[in-house]
Amino acid sequence: MTFAQLNRRTHLYLALALLPWFFMYGISSLPFAHTQFFEQRDAAKGLPLWTLRSDRLSAVPPPDNEKALRPFGAALLSEAGISGTAFGTYQQSPNQINVYSYSFWKSTQLKYYVDQKRVTVEDRRFRWDQFLTGMHGRGGFEQEGLVQLSWSVVVDIVCLGIIIWIASGLYMWWGLAGHRAWGWIAILAGAISFIGLTLRL
Amino acid sequence: MFSRLVRRSHMYLALFLTPWMLMYAVSTLAMNHRAVFVERYGSGPVPFHTERELVYDGSFPPDADLKTISRQILTSLDLDGSHGVTRRKDGAIVINRNDLITPRRITFTPDSRMLLVERMERRSNAFLERFHRRRGYATGYRLDTSWAVTVDVVIVGMMFWAISGLWMWWEMKVTRALGALALLGGISLYALYLVML
Repeated sequence: MTFAQLNRRTHLYLALALLPWFFMYGISSLPFAHTQFFEQRDAAKGLPLWTLRSDRLSAVPPPDNEKALRPFGAALLSEAGISGTAFGTYQQSPNQINVYSYSFWKSTQLKYYVDQKRVTVEDRRFRWDQFLTGMHGRGGFEQEGLVQLSWSVVVDIVCLGIIIWIASGLYMWWGLAGHRAWGWIAILAGAISFIGLTLRL
Repeated sequence: MFSRLVRRSHMYLALFLTPWMLMYAVSTLAMNHRAVFVERYGSGPVPFHTERELVYDGSFPPDADLKTISRQILTSLDLDGSHGVTRRKDGAIVINRNDLITPRRITFTPDSRMLLVERMERRSNAFLERFHRRRGYATGYRLDTSWAVTVDVVIVGMMFWAISGLWMWWEMKVTRALGALALLGGISLYALYLVML
């Protein structure tokens, strides 16, 4: 097998294996790029986004430093009977700590009020646009669990895949001698537009 | 003829959109490894540093809203462009100019008529993240709308590459078996994540 063949096959098979991610990143960019449209569309339904599941006192002692935030969030989730999801814990204000628990299909937020030691648990209504943006934004190596971390590894692979497609695509284009001139025009037009916008935005 | 058109469109669209795809790939890598940057810079917001201080001698129409005031100030500083504006409790007007390369915060204190111009500290990950998250249709600036159009073109491009790529693969009989294996492997793994995550 020649290098040119290996290059073509890598371009093709990598693309086929990563197609679901590539397609997802493409289609899920729509709700990001047209947020107002999707928000207005949902607002027209007149349905509340969050539904209160419970409102009670918590026995979990509040954290006394920033490092204790995440274990505190985990303990609050456990107390609420939520386990195995990705989550983030944020100090919303001196008196309020929010915990967001999320999977692709379901999101729950817990609000802990420090002065009252009270916690509310709210579930988010399912929305297709948020399902897509949730998948799009998923990543990072802060979460615990092998499956969670493996998704982030795949995100890295998709990024490297895109870089490989660019490099292998450029190699394939260069091999087509009859298309070099138009190819240069396309590359230069893209680069000039991109740099021009970057400098002026 | 159709097949050739598909192949050429696949290639030329990719050549044109190379900078965008490269930027999205590199910025995603940076965001996926945010912890590395947090360790390096700390977890707080990116700090601003004073660029200049000056007295603003312009005047505003009596019924001017915040947006009118911010545009007038930005124009006088030769910094007009996408921005957000708020009024603090003490009456100061804070303009966040969303410059892609050098974001600035401009604070106007009406009592002293002082203008404080601060620039955000340069950090590669913050720059890439700004790039990745940049939208544009809602800002009211033509330049931002142009950027938003290019983002839409990238989205359409991604859909087109996926569909045209499948078409081109199916045309190459010799790659069908291995290709189907790769495709099914990818779909199965993705389905697994859909169930488990």
